[in-house]
Amino acid sequence: MNFSVKEGDGTLTGVLDGRLDTAAAQEFAKDIQVMMDNADKHLILDLEKLTFISSSGLRLLLALRKETMAKGGDITITNVLPEVKQVFTITGFYSLFQFQ
Amino acid sequence: MQHELTLYNEVKQIALLPGFIEEVSNELGLDEMLVFNLNLVLEEAVTNVIMYAYPKGERHSMTLKAWTEGEDVLAFELKDQGKPFDPIKEAPEVDTTLSAEERGIGGLGIFLIKQMMDEVSYRYEDNSNILTMKKNYKA
Repeated sequence: MNFSVKEGDGTLTGVLDGRLDTAAAQEFAKDIQVMMDNADKHLILDLEKLTFISSSGLRLLLALRKETMAKGGDITITNVLPEVKQVFTITGFYSLFQFQ
Repeated sequence: MQHELTLYNEVKQIALLPGFIEEVSNELGLDEMLVFNLNLVLEEAVTNVIMYAYPKGERHSMTLKAWTEGEDVLAFELKDQGKPFDPIKEAPEVDTTLSAEERGIGGLGIFLIKQMMDEVSYRYEDNSNILTMKKNYKA
């Protein structure tokens, strides 16, 4: 999976592209640090190109969510595909994030 | 129909799962959502073995089998020779109604397996953990 970050207007947008499986999650744990460091801001996660997620990826997103709560920021998830969205729904993670 | 895959207890081996599921899917004509869910279920099951079944640094293999039963049941079996572990009984409970602060990170994998499959069972036999997962692929 590729991860890139765009900054602008006090928001940080992380774009996830590919499969966030357990192997990719090990890399993503390092990549997501820049979002963790900016967890006092408005964060956007663009999942338009995220074709797969498993529990390892969900755990990292939960950690980021907790970090924004601790630092006073927030997260919006945009453009989520139906297959990925149902994983958020089944696990109850859907109610932990704002979706757009 | 019968397919079999041998995997080692290394995270990179997870990359073999999509191809294995594609073989099954090509044969049975599975829809996209089910293919996605089977990828998720098998990854969670295999990840559990990779992460927890063997002492760190030891290389071991596991076998994954797929077959059909009757007209509409697709079955998978994951077998490893790691330490005995019944994920159905021993994995932490998941409460999906908790807030973000209260949510823990344990048990999500087996929770997803149970939610997405119709039948999940575990047995320990011949020094092996055997996890069987079944799904009506025509429902």
